[in-house]
Amino acid sequence: MPLPSPSDLCWNVQFPPGQEWIERTVREALEANWQRAQSTARAYFGDEFLALEIMQLALQKTIDRLNKGAPVESNEVILLLSRFYAQEARRRRDANRELALLGPNAEVPSNPAQSQSSSVDSTIDLEVILHDIPPEVRLALLMRYSRTRWTEVAAILGTTESSIRVRSQQALKRIRQRLGDNEHGK
Amino acid sequence: MIVYTVDPIRKDDVAEHQPLLNDDQNDTLLFEKLEEYILAHYPNPERVGCPSLEVLKRFSDAPREVNLSDLKNLHIFKCAECTRALIELRRQWEQPKLL
Repeated sequence: MPLPSPSDLCWNVQFPPGQEWIERTVREALEANWQRAQSTARAYFGDEFLALEIMQLALQKTIDRLNKGAPVESNEVILLLSRFYAQEARRRRDANRELALLGPNAEVPSNPAQSQSSSVDSTIDLEVILHDIPPEVRLALLMRYSRTRWTEVAAILGTTESSIRVRSQQALKRIRQRLGDNEHGK
Repeated sequence: MIVYTVDPIRKDDVAEHQPLLNDDQNDTLLFEKLEEYILAHYPNPERVGCPSLEVLKRFSDAPREVNLSDLKNLHIFKCAECTRALIELRRQWEQPKLL
């Protein structure tokens, strides 16, 4: 599934009313940063889809910051968005490192103690793999779990099917990987 | 002469993930497997931390009316009892259509 374009990405962003300069400069900043954001996500996490979640947070922080001050030039907005994106990417990378110390089941050699506590391990695993997904995606996954179709999920969340599916992609990929590991006794 | 070889490990990897790769547009197979996984690994007979059955019923009938905090966040993903309740509610919901 292709990543959305910068204009698709702005679909869910709430721009403050009466501040057209913010919307204009943020859209320009997004255009300028989007390719690099995908490369960063691929380099840090091996998954460019994560750029989507990280960029949405960075966009919101940028808009909040701009809304509090006087109008600034486009170049400054490009830098600001880039900084917020890098900040969030680093935060996630560091959080992943901490979680790696805990280690998913797949990395721990099997032993009798592990099998006795398999249900505890499973709890840790699902919590680990879903710990950082945004609330809207959590709700979307829960709705799909109760067999609401993606089209209905999108309608309920007030977005498009492709948007919510792309945003759920990372979590689905992690679940798919976890289920695959479990099925084959890894 | 060119000799083509097949790496056995890579071939196995593809075979292992083949069923989920064949999933439909709604990722139905993935969610069915997740359901099986939760039923097998997350027993909660005392229903500790569960949302009420009324909330689960509302979530099943009209998901629009339920929010994350009503559902106790991702609790359902670590609860076999809530999963069973959702399956039963779905079965009840689908039954009239079969008659």
